[in-house]
Parts: sequence; C-alpha cells; structure tokens
Amino acid sequence: MKNKLWLATGTIGLGFVLGACAGESGGDSSSESGDATQISFMHWRGEDKAVLDDIIADFEEANPDIRVEQNIYPSDQYQATAQRMLQEGSTGDVFTSFPGAQFESIESAGFFEDLSGEEFVSNFDESLISVGQKDSTQYALPYQLVFNMPVYNKGMFDELGLEVPKSWTEFQEMADTLLENDITPIAFPGADIGPNQFMNSMMMNNAPDEEVFAKLQNGEESLTNEWWVKTLEDFKLLADKGYIQDDALGTNQDSAMAMVANEEAAMLATGSYHMNSLLSLNPDLELDLLAPITVEESEATYEGINTATFMLAVNSNSEKKDQAKAFIDYLSQPEVASKYANETGQHLTVNDVEYESEALQNTSYWIDERNTRFQPRFLITNAQIEDAVLSSIENVLGGEDPMAAAEAAQQIVEENRE
Amino acid sequence: MKISKSIYWFFLPGLVLYSLFFLYPTFSALFYSFTDWDGLSEAFQFVGIDNYTRAFTGDSIFQKTIGNNLKFMLTVVVFQTLVALAFALIVIKNTKTNVFLRALYFFPTILSSVSVAFIWAFIYDPSMGILNQVLQLVGLDFLAQNWLGNANIAIYSLAITQIWFHAGQMLIIFVAGLQAIPEELYEVAKIEGASKWQAFRSVTWPLLAPSATIVVAYTTIQSFKAFDLVFAMTGGGPNNSTEIIATYIYDVAFKSYQFGYASSISVIFMVIIALITYLQFKALRSDRVSY
Repeated sequence: MKNKLWLATGTIGLGFVLGACAGESGGDSSSESGDATQISFMHWRGEDKAVLDDIIADFEEANPDIRVEQNIYPSDQYQATAQRMLQEGSTGDVFTSFPGAQFESIESAGFFEDLSGEEFVSNFDESLISVGQKDSTQYALPYQLVFNMPVYNKGMFDELGLEVPKSWTEFQEMADTLLENDITPIAFPGADIGPNQFMNSMMMNNAPDEEVFAKLQNGEESLTNEWWVKTLEDFKLLADKGYIQDDALGTNQDSAMAMVANEEAAMLATGSYHMNSLLSLNPDLELDLLAPITVEESEATYEGINTATFMLAVNSNSEKKDQAKAFIDYLSQPEVASKYANETGQHLTVNDVEYESEALQNTSYWIDERNTRFQPRFLITNAQIEDAVLSSIENVLGGEDPMAAAEAAQQIVEENRE
Repeated sequence: MKISKSIYWFFLPGLVLYSLFFLYPTFSALFYSFTDWDGLSEAFQFVGIDNYTRAFTGDSIFQKTIGNNLKFMLTVVVFQTLVALAFALIVIKNTKTNVFLRALYFFPTILSSVSVAFIWAFIYDPSMGILNQVLQLVGLDFLAQNWLGNANIAIYSLAITQIWFHAGQMLIIFVAGLQAIPEELYEVAKIEGASKWQAFRSVTWPLLAPSATIVVAYTTIQSFKAFDLVFAMTGGGPNNSTEIIATYIYDVAFKSYQFGYASSISVIFMVIIALITYLQFKALRSDRVSY
C-alpha cells in the first residue's frame, strides 16, 4: 500500500516538475450507462472514426447490454501515453498497441490480458499474429496489415514506359528518367514520419538479418558497420541526386501527399495506409507499391516491408473483460472486418476478408505472392536507440557525412544499451 | 499589535493544498530520481546518484538539450523584449488606432499553443509555406529557408514563433510601465532641449527598468520551460537540434519509460530554473530607480 502511494505521488510529482506535458483528451469512459455496460475502445486511428462508429452501432444493436465509446488519441501521443492510461484501468477496456517498443513495455507492465484461449483468435491468419505473442502467449491480435514502403503512381510509370526496378542500378535509372521529365522521384515527408517509414525498405536488403537490431541492442552489431553506413550512403545519394525533393526534412506528410496527388512526385515514401488518402485527393491515380532494392538483383532477399499492427488487446486492469472480448470477437467476424477494410482502405489480418476496392484488390498480391519482411524499426525495442537510428538519417539528409552520422548515433546507442 | 493565534487556521487550507499538490509530489520526484523506476511497475531499485552521473557524463543528448535551451532562451529574451518594447512605444498613446493595435498585438496570446504550432508549421513549410512564397515574391529568394528542417536554424525558427506568441503579454507590462512615468518629466526634458532619443535614454529607459526586468525575468523562465510549441512543431528534430530539456524529459519518461532517470533530469531542470529565478530577482532589486 505504501509502495502504491509512493508510485502514485511519484507520477504526480514528475508531472509537476515537468510542468508542461501534453494533456489528455477523452474521459472516464468505462461507466455504466443505464442497463448497459459501457466499455472504452482506445486507439489512434482518428481517420477510422466514422466507419468504427457504424460498426459500433451495429455491435450495440446486436449486444444491447454493451455500449462502446471510442477514445482516440493522435498516434504520437498514443505511443507516449497509452501505457499510463491503461495503468488506471478506466480507459481502454479494449485498446490497440503498436508492435515493437510499445508492445514490449505494455507486456512487461502486465497490462495485456491473455487471449490465447479465446475462440476469436482462430478468426485471424495464424501466420500474421505472431507479433502479438510473447513466450507462446497471445497478448494482442494485429488487425491491420500494412506495407511500409513507397506508394507509387503506376499510371505515370506506364506512361513513361518505366518498370519497377529490381536493383539499385535500375532504381537510379528509373529516378533519372523521372527527373528528366521534371518529376520528383520520391516525395519524402522528412519533418514527421518519413525517416521512420522509409528506413525500413532502404535497409531491408542491406541488412537482411532480421536479428540485426537485437544484435545492435546487445552490442554484437554497430551502426558504424557496413549495413547501416551503406544505408546512410544510399540516403545521401537520394538527396545528392535530387531523387527526393529539396528541403525534405521540412516537409510534412500532408505536403508530401499533395506532391504525389498533384503528380509532381512519383512516389510517396510512407506506406500502403496512405493509398486511400491519396485517392481521395486525386481519384484518377492508379497506385501500387514498390520498395527500393538497394543491392544488385542477385543479392536481393526481400521485395518489401509488412507490418501487422493496430493490435487489438484487452486491458488486464479492466473490470469489463468479457464485454471487451465480445467486441474483439465482433471486429474479427469476416463481414465486419470486410466493412472496416473496404471503408478504410486497409488490408487486414482477419481470415476471409473480401476486398472490394480496386486499390486493395490490386495490391493484395503483396500479402502472399511477395517476399516481404516485418518492419525492422519495430524490432528496435529501446525507444532511445530507435531515436538515434532515425536521427542518423536526418543527420545525413541535413548534409552530414554518413560515417560521421553513424558514429554519432552509435555513441547514443552505447549510452542507452541495457 | 498582538495577532490572535486563531489566524493561523486561515493558512491551513492553503498549506494543505500546497503540501499535497506541490511539496509532496516534488519530494517524491526527488525520491524517484535516485531509483530505476520505469513508471509502470511497482518494482524499483535504488541506484544512488547514477542517474545524475549519467545525465552529466553519459548522455550526450541531455548535454545537447542544455545548449539548445540556452540558444532558444537567449534569442527569445533579447528579441521578445525588444519587440515588445518597440510595440509598447508605438501604442502608448490612448488613441483609437492604438487601442486597436494593442488588441492586435495581444491577439496571438489568446490562441492555444497547439493552434499556433500548426499555423507556424504551415507558414514555415519549405514548399507550400507562406513565408518562403512571400520572400520569393518580393525578390528575397536567397532568404528562403528550410525553416524547421535545417538543423542549424530550426531552433531559431521556433524562437521566432515563441516571440510572436508571447510578445503581446510583454507589451502589456511595458505599456503599464510607460503609463506610470509622469508626463511632467518629459515636459522638463523638452524645456531643457532634449531630443526624443535623449528623453528616451534619460527618462523613459531608467524608469522603465523595473518593467524591463520583470519582462526579462518572466521571458527567461518562460522560454526555458518552453515545451508545447517545440513538441508540436518539431518533436525535437531534426537530429535532436530542437530537443530541449522539457521535451527530452517527456521522451525519457513517456517514450522510454525511464521515470527514475526522467525524475533526475527534472530535478536538475528545477534547480536551473530556481537559480535563474533567484538571479533575476536579485537583479530586479538592484535595478530599482527613483526620482
């Protein structure tokens, strides 16, 4: 009891001394509402609110004793504060988690309810949900399957007679052709999500060993080794040759999307989750996905990046676990998941989903026909090491020599190694 | 005069609230600064002064944040004070135009910091932003910059936003100070043949010194504690060039879950601010001017 008092006051104390932290939105959501039990569904996808409102309305009609309130936070804030909100138990009876560092910290804090024995687990593709497991226990169920690699204007490529490059040499030839046609090859949102998305496909073949970041964290690998220095050199080449736009580090994702929607740029260096937004900006676009292959064709191991994310979980501190599980069960029904997939433009990990939209159908081949690897960034489980890795990319794009940037980042890795 | 002992009971509610919401949490933060608490679990271990040693000898980002904080603070203090003083001298007379101008200059202060951050992030956008477009329109292309993406200037771009946001508040303090200066002193100066500059130097500035000291003191503390604009506009990037102590504490505590270490940085931060406040108040007392 005394310990808990210290913990509580410690949290308050830090808050006071900080004096300036982001506020929380949302409120006490897990209250009883009439005869129905109200649960909180906490997530970061503000753009999905409307379709989730529809799905929740249908769920409440089918389950009149349960009401669901959405508590939505911007993804940055969610990454930083979700754990704290889960601790208290009144928010996030059902919540979502990112894989990687956030999953690890929530798991180690014991906020995941064990879902291993639940029937609805079988509604998901078994091969895509391992990222939500630890020590053979299913703590979270990834709902979305996204491809964190550039979205490209397929129509533009066809018009210019360009094919998807299979090597670094071909990639540069393709980029040169685009430049000759006054088109920026890659719109890179370096001011926000660019580095943490594009690093994945840029390094996937430079370091095909999926353990490379685990080894970096335990000291077996270094950012000054060839795999990362080469990745930084490749980033430098993109900047030096004008393959990414000038001032990329000052460009946010909205501006980068506008460049692709206006056909000023051919590729958007984010991921499949932006295809729907691009099509809403310019419905005439014909889009597909491609990842730069930074090695020669014969050396290429992977063709792209996948991430099973938006991991559905039940808060172990919740007093309404049965209702929370009922909601996840509902979300995992194929017809509900199909509605969610088609209205949000996302591929899902749920079995038997029917993709109706052209963009989803045209890119579904990436799910089982292409050799993709799980997003490397999410295999960095230490947030400060992740920041160091991303900062070295920013550093190079800001004009620093790749080796010097790698050395500076490695110093921070060593300071934060556990 | 004898004061009844019962008067102390009137202090009790304030004392209880102050102890509960300031003293106790502050001391518990101090307590956790000597632990490895992760902020989530109940278990933690005492690590002595390891967190403090790490901050000063083993954490290059923290050391960088101190430099960034100083750059930001000095830029804001110097220019915010000058801008606010200039505006105050412009709007000191109570004409209708000046009342409107005062309201106009004060307007940014009433906005929320997140709104200001969004507005200025849009203004600074290198390709679509208004600032570069205006510079190009008036033939000053060479001044167009990657305002938030260039690690060498991003901190100063943030400082400009901070100045725009808060100069209006300081303007009010200067206007109040200027209004307190007796008109007769200017009349005497005029009779003595003093120019406008001489009147400013010999009358206005000395009598405005207490207001200026308050402005400088307040701006120093405010800019040192800045968090929201930086957090919303750059998140500390690019390459930690805008990472300041407050945003770093947030990252360490809420992204890396090292609450013990974040507490130690918070304590260091608190000591720095307390020191600055002490020095400022000392300077304030020595700057009192009377005629």
